[in-house]
Amino acid sequence: MNIELILFTILALLTLSSAIAMVSVHRPIDAALSFIITLISLAGIFALLHASFLFVVQIIIYAGAILTLILFIIMFLNIKDENLPKEPKKNLWLLGTSLLTLPFTLIMIKIINSANFGSCTQLDENFGSIEAVGKVLYSSWVLPFELISILLLVALVGAITLAKREESDTTKRVQEVSQKEVS
Amino acid sequence: MIEKYLILAILLFSIGIVGVLSRRNIIIIYMSIELMLNAVNLALLAVASYVGSEDAHVISLMIIALAAAEAALFMALFVTLYRHKRSLDTSIFDLLGDKKATQRSTVQGNTNA
Repeated sequence: MNIELILFTILALLTLSSAIAMVSVHRPIDAALSFIITLISLAGIFALLHASFLFVVQIIIYAGAILTLILFIIMFLNIKDENLPKEPKKNLWLLGTSLLTLPFTLIMIKIINSANFGSCTQLDENFGSIEAVGKVLYSSWVLPFELISILLLVALVGAITLAKREESDTTKRVQEVSQKEVS
Repeated sequence: MIEKYLILAILLFSIGIVGVLSRRNIIIIYMSIELMLNAVNLALLAVASYVGSEDAHVISLMIIALAAAEAALFMALFVTLYRHKRSLDTSIFDLLGDKKATQRSTVQGNTNA
């Protein structure tokens, strides 16, 4: 039994169990914490696939930035337990949709098992390193790269516009508060 | 030996579908979508190491950038929705749905009568 298979088994079990925990827990903060475990063990699996740059990116952007944003929002909203959606038949729903997606999963697994992949190609020493990925990114993928930067800018502006409190809203609230104080 | 990676990706994608379909908490639905994106990334990287080219690495880098943009918009959406409705329940957010419209039209009909 080689070391790669042992590492893969451990990481895959961690990923799957924390993903199932994320889908089935009630409170969003527990879901976010178990999602962090999923992402970090997925980063380990990326490293097993010789994608060292993507391993770093996964940890920095997903586990570092996006999950911090989710945790920040959850704590910032300060959601009480009574404000959470009541899901009385949650387990039944989970069971039903699992049965619904089971045929899809089984068919895909069967297709992959029936495909004959054979052995891998021999990889270079620096396959997936930041130098190799950067050369591909800045040669044949320049246009999508620039478009992604525009998309990020649009998302930034859109997020600010969406989350900004409207002027009339604040004045109304101030008036309500002052009326309450008067009365 | 990339079959096991692809099978893991499929399982993660299915868990994401189950989360999107069965839960009503909007934050958990969002995280299930992220899980599906991650499963796609995993499949791409597995194929990349099988073929031996770095193009799929660039594609999954783009997917991560898309997920970051999506995260910003989703967070703005959560803040706005929670400010207006004091809830994260997706069954409450039916402003554009048919139910409210029919209710309002019946109310108007009553007042007109």
